[in-house]
Amino acid sequence: MRLLSVLITICCLTQSWALHSSEAGIVDWHKPLVGVPLYSTLSTAPAFHRISEADGRTHSVVLTATASNVLAALDPVDGTIAWRHIFEANEHVIAYKQHGNVVATVSGSGGATLRLLDATTGHLLVERCFHKLEAGRLFEPETLGTALAFDNEENGDTYVLSNAHILRRTNAKTGEVVWGWSAPDQASLVAYSRLIATSSTVYVVGLAKSFTSYTLHVSAVSAKTGEFITSIDVPSSITNGLTDFFVLASNKHPQVKPRIMWLEGGAIKSFPLTPELKETPMMIKGAEYHKIVDVGLSEHGQFVAIKEDGAGRVIRLGEDGVKVIWEFAESATSKQYTESIYSGGLDKDGWPYIARVYWSHISKKASAHILAAHLADGKGLVTGFTLPFQTSDHGVITHVAVDIANPEEFKVLARLFLTTSTGAVQLWQQNELQWSREEGLAEIKVAELVELPEKQVVTAHAGEDEPVGERLVRQLSDARDFPQYALNFARRFVTGSYASVSSSVAPSANASEPLARDEFGFRKVIIAVTARSKIYGIDSANGEVLWSRVFGLGWAAEVGGHIIPVKIFVTRTVNDGGAPEVVLVTQRKASNSLVDTVIFHVNPLTGEDVRDPTSPRDGLLQGLDVIAGPLVETYMLQLGPSNVVVLLDEFVQVHLYPNTDEIRDAFVKALPSIYLPLRTGPPKHRQLTGHQISPKPEFTGKHVAQPTWTLSLPPSEDILAIIPRPREPIASLGKVLGNRTTLYKYLNPHLSAVVAGSSVSCSLYLIDSAKGTVLYHVVLPSTDGACDIKVVLAENWLVYQYYDGDMGGVDQAKGYRIVSVELYEGSGVDDKTRSSDLSSLSNKSTAITTFEETFVLPRAISTIVSTATTHGITMKDIIVASENHQIQSFPRRFLDPRRPKRKPTNEELEEWLIQYDPILPDDPKRVLSHTYQVVGTKHIVTSPALLESTSLVFAYGQDLFFTRVAPSNTFDVLSEDFNKAQLVLTIAGLALAIVIAKPIVRRKRLREKWYDQ
Amino acid sequence: MRIPLGLLALASLLLSCCYPVLALDLKGRIRWNEVCPGIGDLGQAKVVLDNGKLRGGVTRDGSFVIPDVPAGTYVLSVAAHDHVFDQLRVDVFETETLPEVRPYIPGTPLSPAAVVTLPYPIVLAPRQRNDYFVPRQSFNLLAMFQNPMMLLMLGMGGLVVAMPYLMKNMDPAMLQDFQKRQARIGSLQSSLQSGDLSGGLSALMDTGEEEKPAPKQTTPAGIKHRSGKGKKR
Repeated sequence: MRLLSVLITICCLTQSWALHSSEAGIVDWHKPLVGVPLYSTLSTAPAFHRISEADGRTHSVVLTATASNVLAALDPVDGTIAWRHIFEANEHVIAYKQHGNVVATVSGSGGATLRLLDATTGHLLVERCFHKLEAGRLFEPETLGTALAFDNEENGDTYVLSNAHILRRTNAKTGEVVWGWSAPDQASLVAYSRLIATSSTVYVVGLAKSFTSYTLHVSAVSAKTGEFITSIDVPSSITNGLTDFFVLASNKHPQVKPRIMWLEGGAIKSFPLTPELKETPMMIKGAEYHKIVDVGLSEHGQFVAIKEDGAGRVIRLGEDGVKVIWEFAESATSKQYTESIYSGGLDKDGWPYIARVYWSHISKKASAHILAAHLADGKGLVTGFTLPFQTSDHGVITHVAVDIANPEEFKVLARLFLTTSTGAVQLWQQNELQWSREEGLAEIKVAELVELPEKQVVTAHAGEDEPVGERLVRQLSDARDFPQYALNFARRFVTGSYASVSSSVAPSANASEPLARDEFGFRKVIIAVTARSKIYGIDSANGEVLWSRVFGLGWAAEVGGHIIPVKIFVTRTVNDGGAPEVVLVTQRKASNSLVDTVIFHVNPLTGEDVRDPTSPRDGLLQGLDVIAGPLVETYMLQLGPSNVVVLLDEFVQVHLYPNTDEIRDAFVKALPSIYLPLRTGPPKHRQLTGHQISPKPEFTGKHVAQPTWTLSLPPSEDILAIIPRPREPIASLGKVLGNRTTLYKYLNPHLSAVVAGSSVSCSLYLIDSAKGTVLYHVVLPSTDGACDIKVVLAENWLVYQYYDGDMGGVDQAKGYRIVSVELYEGSGVDDKTRSSDLSSLSNKSTAITTFEETFVLPRAISTIVSTATTHGITMKDIIVASENHQIQSFPRRFLDPRRPKRKPTNEELEEWLIQYDPILPDDPKRVLSHTYQVVGTKHIVTSPALLESTSLVFAYGQDLFFTRVAPSNTFDVLSEDFNKAQLVLTIAGLALAIVIAKPIVRRKRLREKWYDQ
Repeated sequence: MRIPLGLLALASLLLSCCYPVLALDLKGRIRWNEVCPGIGDLGQAKVVLDNGKLRGGVTRDGSFVIPDVPAGTYVLSVAAHDHVFDQLRVDVFETETLPEVRPYIPGTPLSPAAVVTLPYPIVLAPRQRNDYFVPRQSFNLLAMFQNPMMLLMLGMGGLVVAMPYLMKNMDPAMLQDFQKRQARIGSLQSSLQSGDLSGGLSALMDTGEEEKPAPKQTTPAGIKHRSGKGKKR
């Protein structure tokens, strides 16, 4: 018996669910994303970069730093990611610059770290830290005070300006600092922000604050030795210190001295840079200018100046000085088109081009004009085309990067890389869209999985009184497919090719049938809402975007604003009959600082507006302003057959959506059982207050929540998170132990976990949110003054993770800890209080027994979640996103807090308990994301499939990853390893043996009867 | 016009001025081996101390530098997607310029420290490459016959076939004895199958006394065999 149980245990532990290599990419998918390009400053904005290979050929990449803190290279041919370099969350990428086969990048506040990357592969060549992250100066914007330049003459050494006053030259091969120069005033007077290197001298240009404006200040430093040559104040007065000055150089004419260009009182002035800095400022005459735009060609001697009337002029630095060479026709401000975006690009030979892109309100198309200043014998040539840009899908164009090919004298071909306001990036070759990437999906804020309806079998025919002839024809045509069906049936019967749990559920390529679920309910639609005003419906079978809608701003459209998604609720599923519905609760921040709470109500299958089904699908999705003010709390309440979204405004008044008479009546009836824990008080000192809703509406016609209890936390502690127990089906109310006693699970529906923290320590509470009783409390160490505790609460099981950096403890080991806590009713075994149905006013509702155990987690994690299944019969696994870009699962069996610390007894073996081991096994077979690098996961959503054994997992944050897991193996379907052919063959063989043996035996019997007696 | 250029934190300025004395740049190298032959295989990886606040990236030649490490005891680990590395315990001292590096087994107490010290600069070798997949269990004849249960079954089958020959070669006295025992078990089994437990048990008990009927019961089987053989000849 004992041996048997040991055997069973071993079998169960070794035969865990894991992926076969053939299933990778079939049962799961991964969409690597780079994030939305940071286009606001030139040093991080997308740009084409041409790389020469050893054999003389060239290929291009689109380089960009992104809002997801990634430096990425995209292949312009097909839009795939050539490489991406991921920066740590506390170290923002500030600037990048390309030179030959090297991309230099500076990150961290003040320009803390320089990295050199291989432009083709993205491999890290050199990493050099200049100062600690906390020693970096904080500028607004962050990119200010940092600049990068390459030494063109020699071996490509890098000049880095950091912290607005330190200039360093670093060796391109080793990363060693060749020399460093620090401004004597430590940036207290002059903040340097621009840098230009010539073969002999490096110039740093900065601004000194004067009475009402800024004054230019230049320092010249020897490029060879780092010796300070001289510095002067250039007499100037600049109002916008961010954009109104830059340094212009012309690398086609190395003898031409670089110049500082700036805008001063509507005039463009320039100051030639010589090592002695003895020149005098000059002014470009001719017009009043509104602003000057560095289009990324400052090293190629061109920029754009915008006149007072909005018209764009191209100004060039040549051998003959700084001159206006072109004015774009019809570029003055007009109601017929939007403000133009100017962008510079280069061709293969390094000639500069300037593109002007604008949106025409009349033709509803985007137009691009490309100026080639050197063509047509230097007179300049403009070519143009229009782009059928889908503004209803992608918002407006916010940035353009351009790459030019000039195959013939008068032929200019452009490739445009567009960044849009919804976060899409697109590559257009002339007027044709080559590819489009939805990088906005890297900023999903809320996501939910919605079940699909069953496939509809079409059986409609014309009715009763159908003529015989027609009917015969119809039936014959129906029967036409019968032979094929019969053949299929026979084949299926023999080979056993039924629907398999490890097959793809993606629809076939040419299928145009409506969305329908598969046999096992693996296919769902993922509703994802990004921070960039867009909602997507994503097919969970393959990650394709089924539909997407852009949010309308309502009244705020006139002043501008943005929409922050708060929560998403599935108010109707297919099981409730009819089309499913989701309600999205958002806050709209208008540019005039007014905040409203807006609800969007959509059909998750089509993206149709449920409130107004007649509205065009390609228009903006308009919401309903439910609260004219900010939102405090929102949740979904089930009232009889329908689900209602309950919203509380800042005066804790209750708003209902949908708001009909029946729902209001049902809500009043349900009021006594509603308890709301709310965060109250000023920020940093927030306390938890329980609320109940008054049964009678106030004079405003709204119900108001009234405080019933307050959780008195220490005054230094601030509430960081409230995690309510999820509403999920529970299959068993207790756990039967080996000695036939039962531990009853503590299933209080009002259980919530509360994370609170001060600068010195963190606290985790489990509270009964109906009356504010603390059921469980633990104090955890904080790491560097921050509380980084990940908590998951499922059924009666609490799991939390923290970092223990304390060397003074008993175990004296630093590391990540994961604690598993199980809550049971009463004072021990067989003590039943019926906690799931018990009134929260009963004293017994707080009687609990806890079991807890700590384990060592192999590495840092960014989020933690438990699996979810339809009926809750399947064991729950813990799924985490770890720091090395993996999604990993940890089985419940290892996290059982009742694991004995000695050899398990027979009774414990019957419960399949294994001996306690502090280290959780780090099994690569349990890495759900296997070879995929799932970068930047912030949230994981789990959702049940129709199959009880299987849970669907969707991870988002930056990359999207979807898979399915079976924590207790797929016990409800035949194993994939089951060999049906073998079974059929064996049965056939046995049948054959019977057929052969039967007459022989009969004959033998007969003979025995005749001869033997 | 909203650039607070003057927003220069004095405290951070002071920090940056007087820090570098106590801190040390921790240097090391990943030794490429057959598990991981180069940076292309390793991908973007970082070497972290403790919870990752102090870290350094692995460059193309395998080297890494963790800058500005203050004095203290740290656990050094490598965060790579596909490869497993050892963890190390690193002690940085205020007075000495070289740190002490020791092997460290995760989950064990940091003190007492291991006696073995490792050379500095640190050299780390990839231990193994993660294998994420389980092989599919396909139908394999050889593997099937290597299964102990299968072997047992084969042995049984062999015995069944060989039994008549064995019996034929047996000494007649022994054979009778054997057949007696066989019959007893056979009767027990048949009575168990028919549900007559007491009958079966009594049969088992009785057989000791009544030796006579037992051979009678078993004879048909014996004769059958012999007669069968005889006929064939």
